[in-house]
Amino acid sequence: MASREIVRYRSPLRSVLQGLSVLFLIFFFVWTVLPLLIMVVSSFKDLLDAFQLPEVGDFGGVGVMFDFEPTGAHYVELFTEKHFGTYLRNSLIASLGSAAVSVSLGSMAAYALSRAEFRGKRDLLFWIISTRMAPVVAVMVPLYVIFRSSGLVGTLPGLILAYTTFNLPFAIWILKGFFDNVPYAIEEAAQCDGCTRWQAFRLIIPLVAPGLGAFIVLCVLFGWNDFLFATIIGSGGAKTLPVATAELVQPVKIQWGMIMAAGVVTTVPMMFLGLLIRRYLVAGLTMGAVRE
Amino acid sequence: MASVTITDVWKYYGKTMAVKELNLEIRNNEFMCILGPSGCGKSSTLRMLAGLEFISSGDIYFDDVRVNDLPPRDRDIAMVFENYALYPHKTVYENMANPLKLRRTPKQEIERRVRRAAEILEIEPLLDRKPVELSGGQKQRTAIGRAIVREPKVFLFDEPIAHLDAKLRSHMRGELKHLQRDLETTTVYVTHDQLEGMSMADRIAVMHEGVLQQLGTPEEIYNHPTNEFVAGFVGEPPMNFLDCTLERTNVGLTVVHAGFRLALSEQQASLLTAGGAEADVRIGIRPDNIAIEPGADGALEVPGEIFVTEPLGGDMVVEVTIGGDRVTVKSKIGPMGGPGDPCRIGFAVDKLHVFDKTSGVAYF
Repeated sequence: MASREIVRYRSPLRSVLQGLSVLFLIFFFVWTVLPLLIMVVSSFKDLLDAFQLPEVGDFGGVGVMFDFEPTGAHYVELFTEKHFGTYLRNSLIASLGSAAVSVSLGSMAAYALSRAEFRGKRDLLFWIISTRMAPVVAVMVPLYVIFRSSGLVGTLPGLILAYTTFNLPFAIWILKGFFDNVPYAIEEAAQCDGCTRWQAFRLIIPLVAPGLGAFIVLCVLFGWNDFLFATIIGSGGAKTLPVATAELVQPVKIQWGMIMAAGVVTTVPMMFLGLLIRRYLVAGLTMGAVRE
Repeated sequence: MASVTITDVWKYYGKTMAVKELNLEIRNNEFMCILGPSGCGKSSTLRMLAGLEFISSGDIYFDDVRVNDLPPRDRDIAMVFENYALYPHKTVYENMANPLKLRRTPKQEIERRVRRAAEILEIEPLLDRKPVELSGGQKQRTAIGRAIVREPKVFLFDEPIAHLDAKLRSHMRGELKHLQRDLETTTVYVTHDQLEGMSMADRIAVMHEGVLQQLGTPEEIYNHPTNEFVAGFVGEPPMNFLDCTLERTNVGLTVVHAGFRLALSEQQASLLTAGGAEADVRIGIRPDNIAIEPGADGALEVPGEIFVTEPLGGDMVVEVTIGGDRVTVKSKIGPMGGPGDPCRIGFAVDKLHVFDKTSGVAYF
């Protein structure tokens, strides 16, 4: 195997570009991390502290922002008076439920589409992905009518179904690519070993684990971050975190502290999900099993 | 342990014919090699035996049981694939244990059999490794191990050693042959390498373009090929073919070429007459059956000119131009001269093969 080393030669242009890229990275880091930092810090401040800001241009005064008595009052209030426990549960059920349904149905559909050859397969695949192309807003009204007459509005199953409508085609496409990369010979070997087709399918599931992992994250994120479906279809009985957070903005008083705390409550579970699923995202599990 | 009977089997992929009217009987405990170039239908045949492909028409029997409609797992076969097809997420041990697990073999029995197979194949130290950590030869052994842990009716090998390097391949040939004799299991072995077929099989079925060309022992295939294809496919270096004419003289039949005349024996002549041979024929002779000596004035009858010499250590292969054609000669190594030097060659007439010029069918 040839060396993977990237050969670089020094030149004035390269030095300049290197300097610029460092600058860019610093800017990018501040741009992405600062809002999160402010959110976390502000969620522990009471209303007065939250608006203690330094003068414009007074960089030495930044310390003012961190000079406060931390308080957990916002969190307590969120979970006692604002019922955020329920909304957190709703969010979890809706997004994980949709991910579970999409993954199980999607992997089976993707497997079938990857392995079987039939007339019109390409058209079918295109149709499947085209259902994902429509903007959510465009299908909102018809979906609402259907859901209302089915009694699904304001229920968690309704929300799960709504998310699955969008997640499933996506699942089929992503996972088909992963199944395509699993050599069919492995299943043939499994069948010769004594597996049924179904057992052979289950046997190769670990080989598409990176795909499943990636897809579960995307699916959960879609449901977790969704606002439109949640306000319209989930309104009432199946309120989720984004909707509940938005409702903290009231005409009389914007409760910044609580909004920040809600933001933290919404962000933290997704960070844990990312950490949890990270190892499945490492591809390359099939490497070396079959001579290529 | 079972015999395998293939009767009138055809295989089509869409409109493309892969196997044509195949009839083949594989005896109990026999090592049968299906030999042919790529695209000859040999793999299709094997996959039909395994149950991985549908049979377009015809029947396949294991002993007396028609297996056409049985899925692979109910056929009690074990197959080794060309690309090994190991389970990448399982260790060598788990790979080999899989067929036994699926048959709900008790744990200790699995352990015992896997250890035994690993011992036979000399892969015991590798049992905890994953396929990605194995070399080609080790993967191959694991794949074979997965096949031999249970006692299937039939072993199916699909070019199992084609991807190994030359040295390992020659080692594995011996191992596989020994293993098959040891396990006494009916084996069907598909390969495009005539050397594997010749060296391992009890009988060889040569296929070409979906059609069975000849079925016989390696000795029969080598010494009595039924047609030009078989004659040319088996043997290394390959047989020489020359366009000649037959001439009837007062002593019998003579083969006439621009560079030489060869008087045929009485028996050969009668075979040709009985076969209704026309005047234009093709003769075939193996490089080993031609003698060669350097220089223009040797005792051998046919004068020629050296085109190139290829020393192979102990032997050498010499290409000689005679009468506008080129023939390959294999002899012991010795001083031979260089390109353009004169030489003389002699044919072992009793080893000659004569084929029909159009159909390629052998008279003898």
